[in-house]
Amino acid sequence: MSEVVKEKITAVDTVTCTIDGQQITVPRGTSVFDAAGQIGIVIPAFCNHAKLKPVGACRMCYVEIEKMPKLQVSCATMATDGMVVSTNSQQVREGRKAVIEFTLINHPLDCPTCDKGGECDLQDLTFDHGYDDSRFGFDKMRFIEEEKRDTFDDLKIGPEIVLNRNRCILCYKCVRANKEAFGEYDIGAFERGDLTEINATPGGEVSNPFSGNLVEICPVGALTNSDWRYKIRVWLTKTVPSICNFSGSGTNITFYKEDHKNFVYRVTSRCNDAIDDGWLSDITRYGYQIVNSESRLKTPLIKKGGKQVKASWDEALAVIKKHMGQIKDQSGGVCIGGLISPSLDNASLYSFSKLFRTVFKSNNIDFRGDYRYLPSVTDSLFTIAASQPFSISDIEKSDVIITFGTDLIREHHNEYLKIRRAVNFYNSTVYSVNPYAVKTADIAKSEMVYSPGTDELVINGICLVAIEKKLVNSSAAAKLKSKISKLSPGVLAKLTGLSKEQFEELAEAISSAKKVTFIVGEIVARSLDRDKICAALSNLNKLFGVQDKGQLAVLSRYANSKGAQKLGLSATPYEIVKDELKKIWGEYPDCQPRNTDAMINLMKKEEIKGFITVGANPMRLYPDRSFASEGLEHVDFLVACDMFETETTELADVVLPLCSWAEYDGDYINLEGKVQTGKQAIKPKYESKAAFEIMELIARQLGAKLFENEQVKNEEIEKLLKLDSVLPWPDDFLKIEYEKKSSQDGYPVPLFICDDPHHSGHLTEKSPSLLNFSDSAYVELSKGLAAKIGVADGDPLRVESPVGKIVVPAKISPVLNSDVAIIPRNFSSTQTTSLLMRKKRVDSVKLTRVEE
Amino acid sequence: MKEILTALGRIFIRMPIGMLVVLKHLFKKPVTLDYPRKKKPMAPRFMGRQYLERYDDGSERCVSCGLCAAACPADCIYMEPAENEKGERYAKVFEINLLRCIFCGFCEEACPEEAIFMGHHYEFSADNRDSFIWTKEDMLVKHPRKDNPFKTLFRRVRKVYGVGEKKG
Ligand code: SF4
Ligand code: SF4
Ligand code: SF4
Ligand code: FES
Repeated sequence: MSEVVKEKITAVDTVTCTIDGQQITVPRGTSVFDAAGQIGIVIPAFCNHAKLKPVGACRMCYVEIEKMPKLQVSCATMATDGMVVSTNSQQVREGRKAVIEFTLINHPLDCPTCDKGGECDLQDLTFDHGYDDSRFGFDKMRFIEEEKRDTFDDLKIGPEIVLNRNRCILCYKCVRANKEAFGEYDIGAFERGDLTEINATPGGEVSNPFSGNLVEICPVGALTNSDWRYKIRVWLTKTVPSICNFSGSGTNITFYKEDHKNFVYRVTSRCNDAIDDGWLSDITRYGYQIVNSESRLKTPLIKKGGKQVKASWDEALAVIKKHMGQIKDQSGGVCIGGLISPSLDNASLYSFSKLFRTVFKSNNIDFRGDYRYLPSVTDSLFTIAASQPFSISDIEKSDVIITFGTDLIREHHNEYLKIRRAVNFYNSTVYSVNPYAVKTADIAKSEMVYSPGTDELVINGICLVAIEKKLVNSSAAAKLKSKISKLSPGVLAKLTGLSKEQFEELAEAISSAKKVTFIVGEIVARSLDRDKICAALSNLNKLFGVQDKGQLAVLSRYANSKGAQKLGLSATPYEIVKDELKKIWGEYPDCQPRNTDAMINLMKKEEIKGFITVGANPMRLYPDRSFASEGLEHVDFLVACDMFETETTELADVVLPLCSWAEYDGDYINLEGKVQTGKQAIKPKYESKAAFEIMELIARQLGAKLFENEQVKNEEIEKLLKLDSVLPWPDDFLKIEYEKKSSQDGYPVPLFICDDPHHSGHLTEKSPSLLNFSDSAYVELSKGLAAKIGVADGDPLRVESPVGKIVVPAKISPVLNSDVAIIPRNFSSTQTTSLLMRKKRVDSVKLTRVEE
Repeated sequence: MKEILTALGRIFIRMPIGMLVVLKHLFKKPVTLDYPRKKKPMAPRFMGRQYLERYDDGSERCVSCGLCAAACPADCIYMEPAENEKGERYAKVFEINLLRCIFCGFCEEACPEEAIFMGHHYEFSADNRDSFIWTKEDMLVKHPRKDNPFKTLFRRVRKVYGVGEKKG
């Protein structure tokens, strides 16, 4: 090839081809299938999936290409310049007919019993392209387990997945998605030829946190889930677009509902490329079951003589009026506080804020019930770091991705998948820097596990090494050096348990990257020293110019955390929000703002007498159970609104049933700051009401009115959402003091309390499907630690901290490799947070075997 | 005079002729039936109330696929599928509202399992609306079929010797 030609080829990165007589120009590397899709020509296909690499397994997508002797599969054929394609010629139609006929050779006539019936690609394509009759007279091949002959050949291959191998058309979508998108290997294809079958890996089951997707992408009814099994025919349901309520990313979902029964039947994805690529975590997919749960609170409850009894809304409101009115008149509104869940919609959050700030004239509100020592000033470094802009779709555009202090598969499933996609499809490099080994590490170029509690030192180490190696601008380097160079990189390496080379690797990666994504997660957010860590991050950001060539942010965890921040739901809202609120309301309470910690403290001192929780469960989630319970028990009058009976509602004087997010229209702001609407799927179940209605009712009881009408409310919220909510980093480099951590004698193992990969928060334990994956607390350990203690998988283990003790089974983690203990906080049966102490940066425990 | 003659003619000529017709019918087979003691045999393709068939081993044929309900122009079939202890799909609830049914037979035609048939039963008068909702229990054929022992014997004989069997 001459130089000139070569140059020309590299210069042209688009190709122009003709499909069915229409010319189209597409980027090089686009498949014929996608090119046709762009001009609205739909080519029938089974095995092609927009988010997976093509395999060409099903041959359904045949097209005729000029100058090629045979039909070609369009999904695996790249468009080239001057290609002339026809997608509907006689030859193509015959080819399709033949493919369908072959596909059906061994396909059972199961449609009447098959759950896929009505939304089955094979049904549809047979109808459109197949022969009317079969020409094969012989018996169909049947996969059968002799001892299970009676069970219709269905195999349960996972907690929620049922496989029928006879129906499988071997498109390999399930295996490919599992591998390429989720990085899981629990389903595979076995045997050869006629006997090829999909199955769970021998001895295992398909239980990864994304397994529900396999069912959704299976083009036939080979993979179905127990959740939807034999429940209803799909054509009898209606779909409603909504948003996931369990994660911060706001993945898009579709509810399938039935009006007569007022019942939600299932959730499927609603592919939004900018957010979720059409993949849902199982929490999102099965978490909806809490909406239908029988154990939901059905009516308001009032405490009478120490016992909660059923009451009507009027009675409950009258009690609230009496007591809250009394507290307000006698002690003042400042003696009333409130905590709301950041998973609720904008209207609810805003109504809550307005109720407190205009009716009670109190600043005692918060939305963060599960963090201790929250920042009590508006411009804390943590608040700044959490307000930074972030774009989910930029993850895959970054060539270097660093995950710092985050166990993504327990916190941000969607970002976890996005990072995998970035690596598998866009050749990004991932560095996983965490206090314990995490699942993300298998795609990371290198995984660095630092000792718990040394987060800011790691960042300092990176900065110092970068300065030493002259990887950064020298004037900035000099400035920073004077602030943080008390400890040399060598000492930092020793303190953090990393090596100087590792610091160097990270420094080089950040400085040489074209685009960086720096994700900071819950491990940092939950740390008491979060401000210090964020100061270090601020330095790093400034030194490397991370945000100039990418993004750095602490990701918000809950469905509407961003919204809560923007609407001023913390005791100390952003200044601009405060000013705007003053303008809208014409008033703003000037009493002292109190966040969750401060409020619980005041409850103990009996200075907060009335308390309202909405969807929040501080008793379970606040990271010091005894502190929270002491506080709440001292409250004179506690109103708790929730969907279920929780540890918090048990203490309440009045319990009000709350709607789920499927029962009203609501706007949610995801971690990118994008406002999305979740539509109402069903009418409120039982006597439940949405939080904004409840707030309005309480306000009216107290002789006030929150909003004249819906429109006023929306306008006010609109005004607040328009404000720019990104806080600027400090102008200068920050000094970071190093304090030697005193280690806890006798409690050697650092403890992390987080979410189970199949659960989120305190509500998902009401979903039966999610319980099938994981139904009780455990303590996750590395193999080495388990051997040291002498326990095997499943053995009961006593977990002791200076303040509490629980006994839970041990679970040996395939991922962990250092001495840490991880316990999920999602199960009411185990009071995990009783192990935590409010003043601890790193909680540590003692693990001992329970002798028989 | 003329009128008297006409009247006489009526009495003595016309009336006996009429009475003759009556007399003739006295000895003829009546067109009406002694309903409800006697019932009219229905044409083989008469479409009355639906019934649900069973397999020979007594298990229900209907798998609650919902196709009959989808085909039903009057939208009168309601069902709830469920899983039986063997893991098979069956109809936990199967109801037809006969006040709505127009007896078009589309359900029979749609059924892929040959489970639902239009029967010959047509007597569904009742004095309340609820009794027009026929449930699965009402429609499923009995198992074993409650038959006259002689009839069963005859059927066996017929089967063995192949006599008197209906075609088709
Ligand atoms: S996979 Fe599709 S074609 Fe096959 S039995 Fe199920 S519905 Fe019918
Ligand atoms: S189980 Fe479904 S997705 Fe997997 S190969 Fe078979 S048909 Fe394809
Ligand atoms: S069509 Fe037949 S098998 Fe399907 S639900 Fe109706 S009666 Fe049952
Ligand atoms: S879609 Fe192209 S071969 Fe399957």
